[in-house]
Amino acid sequence: MGAVLEFLASEYVIHLAILVCMYVILAQGLNLTFGLGRLFNLAHVASFAIGAYATALLSVEAEAGFLVCVLASMLTSGLFAVLLGGISLRLTQDYFAIGTLAFSSVVSSLLINWKSLTRGVLGIPGIPRPEIFGFDFYNNTNFLVLIFLVAVISQIFFFMLHRGGFGRFLRGQAEYDEAMLAVGRDTGLVRNISFLLSSATAGLAGSFFAYYLNYIDPSSFSLSEMVFVLTIVVVGRPGSFWGVTLGTAFLVLLPEPLRFIEIDSAYLGPARQLLQAVILFTVVYINRRSLFPPQREV
Amino acid sequence: MDILPQLLVNSLITGSIYALAASGLCLSFALLKILNFAHGHMMMLGAYIFLLFSLDLGNSLPTAGVLALVAMGLVGAVILSVFVMPFLRFSPLLPFVTTLALASMLEAIVSIAFGVNVRSLSTGEELTSWEFGGVFITPIQIIIIVSALVILVTMALIIHGTGVGRRVRALSENQHASQALGIGARRINYTVFIIGTVLAAYAGVLVGYETNLQPTMGNAYTIKAFAAMILGGLGSIWGTVIGSYILGLVENLSIGLDFGGYSLPAGYKDAFAFLIILLVLLFRPQGLFGVKKRSA
Amino acid sequence: MLNVSDIHVSFQKSKILNGISLTVESGETVGIIGPNGSGKTTFFNTLSGFATPSAGSITLNGEDVSSVSADDRAKKGMGRVFQNFGIFKEMTLMENLLVALEARNSIFEALIPWGAKKEARRAKAIEFLEEIHLEARANQKAGSLSGGQMRLLEIVRVLATGANLLLLDEPTAGVSPRMKEEVAAFITKVQAMGKTVLVIEHDITFIQKFCKRIVVLESGTVVLDDTPERVCADERLQEVYFGKKAVGAA
Repeated sequence: MGAVLEFLASEYVIHLAILVCMYVILAQGLNLTFGLGRLFNLAHVASFAIGAYATALLSVEAEAGFLVCVLASMLTSGLFAVLLGGISLRLTQDYFAIGTLAFSSVVSSLLINWKSLTRGVLGIPGIPRPEIFGFDFYNNTNFLVLIFLVAVISQIFFFMLHRGGFGRFLRGQAEYDEAMLAVGRDTGLVRNISFLLSSATAGLAGSFFAYYLNYIDPSSFSLSEMVFVLTIVVVGRPGSFWGVTLGTAFLVLLPEPLRFIEIDSAYLGPARQLLQAVILFTVVYINRRSLFPPQREV
Repeated sequence: MDILPQLLVNSLITGSIYALAASGLCLSFALLKILNFAHGHMMMLGAYIFLLFSLDLGNSLPTAGVLALVAMGLVGAVILSVFVMPFLRFSPLLPFVTTLALASMLEAIVSIAFGVNVRSLSTGEELTSWEFGGVFITPIQIIIIVSALVILVTMALIIHGTGVGRRVRALSENQHASQALGIGARRINYTVFIIGTVLAAYAGVLVGYETNLQPTMGNAYTIKAFAAMILGGLGSIWGTVIGSYILGLVENLSIGLDFGGYSLPAGYKDAFAFLIILLVLLFRPQGLFGVKKRSA
Repeated sequence: MLNVSDIHVSFQKSKILNGISLTVESGETVGIIGPNGSGKTTFFNTLSGFATPSAGSITLNGEDVSSVSADDRAKKGMGRVFQNFGIFKEMTLMENLLVALEARNSIFEALIPWGAKKEARRAKAIEFLEEIHLEARANQKAGSLSGGQMRLLEIVRVLATGANLLLLDEPTAGVSPRMKEEVAAFITKVQAMGKTVLVIEHDITFIQKFCKRIVVLESGTVVLDDTPERVCADERLQEVYFGKKAVGAA
């Protein structure tokens, strides 16, 4: 028993717990737009990236405090969402997917090429841990407590959205788009708000990503990251609050055993990527009938 | 301004590669109404398979070429039957997710098999360039332009002048009506998709000679193929071809020209495809020549 | 020549066809009517091979085609005209007909753009176009035709495949009143060729011009199957279209 507790308190487990907390915020955001609303937002990880870079730049260049950085991250990501919403209103789902993919690539391109701002592929090192009330957040246990609190608060927030009218509305416009318009509800507004919320929370997650890893570079925000978050939502069942929560834990923890097999570290990343992609495909195949229900006629 | 001719030639080269890649994508879109997110990755895979057969296994170029084409043909058939067909009847959005998963899988597999470092198909000897009136061009580049022309023209002749082409056009307009006339959709869908895959692989090989190969390059090329298609108008092959050359032009001119002393860093080249997509979707979603309405 | 036995078809958890049985003799013309949602188009889709029945069988000329693919059924002589126009609008009239005439060709034949057979087919296509007086527009896009002309083209295209059983789904939909006469006249010509014709229609007066037998569908079952006079006189027809209350009131 003592050994189990010791293991649970080990740095490794704390590290995993931090990751789960961070990704659950990110995944629940996508669960809002893609899960409830079936809006194929492939730019979600771009919001994540923007949040991470905002925090990184502000804390490193301007030595800004925790609250300022987090709020700034959420704000910039939120602004990004406004742009996203601007294009989504006019497009059907398939065009929308391409559009968000394009958006995501523009962000990626800027991160790599706008060297004066982002230092390009060199990334931004030396991001300090947050400083709040003198607590030492370089201690991972403390950091875990902080991110856990934030995760719980955001989970409560998402839970209320799922349960309340907003969630119903969002679900409704996924299946009965024309019917909703006929009843006079503004589906565009609901979509925009869901983008705003999901993007802002992605920015929040990104902020913590930067704070935790202390170094970010464009490669952390690539296609494979997007597929990862999408897989979490699909595996957890899109639109299901608890499903996505559990799915996050499952997918963050699943590839870990790979670490203990004797694989060359160069193969670890691609192996994880392959595993996640196979899981995504398998789950989509199993759920192929229900994943994208056809637009029902009134 | 005297670099303009060179830029135009470069545009022709880039545009040719894009045209070869995008026309395959356009055909599968016209017939199956799917957007293959793994298209760029199929280009990448084709190039790496060719690399395997030629440089790594030491076959002569023609042999490697034939082997690679056959291999990619098989890959195309497998991709269609595993990642697309089982999902089409439930929702056209499902293949998006499955091809996205496929793209990720291909990236991972190639990274494991070939390593993540940059590689190139050219071994240096092909770099001697010729000069025509101030414009430099290498033999490979000439092959690119000429082969693209030959292939595209042949495709045009087949599509508009032969019975096979008529069947393909009929199927792309109305699948049920075509089947009701006795046209077998399945065989044609497979054939067209495989041809598209092989074209993509060939384009990938050309990219390998012109620039470099990296397992992660697939994404950018998928988006460029989409950009060419969207610019030209979804469903219109000519639109896609013209869109490809326009894209090549925009990329090369924007990087090559001096705008009052300011020159855009070359790294932004790829971003133009993305911007074009966004602009077209915002202002003229049907593209330049589009308008195939989606029929049943 | 066509025997449909106890067909059941479901779509997304709702039952559309509930045990339809029908026998049609060679050369017969049968009209199929019924309110919206009674399953008429689904019935045609099942016959053509676009919908799979969960039970029952379809026999064409003595051969069980229940599991035969749509394009193979077409090659066995089953032709279909679609409610919302199966014409290839981006292709010319000539090309529309060529596609039908070439449908039985192998891939290799289909790849060669020249030859004597091609010329013969083009000539045949012109002949077909002459039947509907559109030979002058052979090289125009089919999309430029009026609704009635498109309908005629679609019917003649089906004839070009050599089909003997024609399934016409609402041939007057989208057709101007003036053209309806021409369409009716053409269907009569088709009858005279000895073809077997099934027609779905809303316009009973239109059907009566050439049908000797009318089948009434309601909620996926056959409610009436008789001559036009007797069907129109039958009380149940009123029920089917206007509900039981209306019958009482009348």
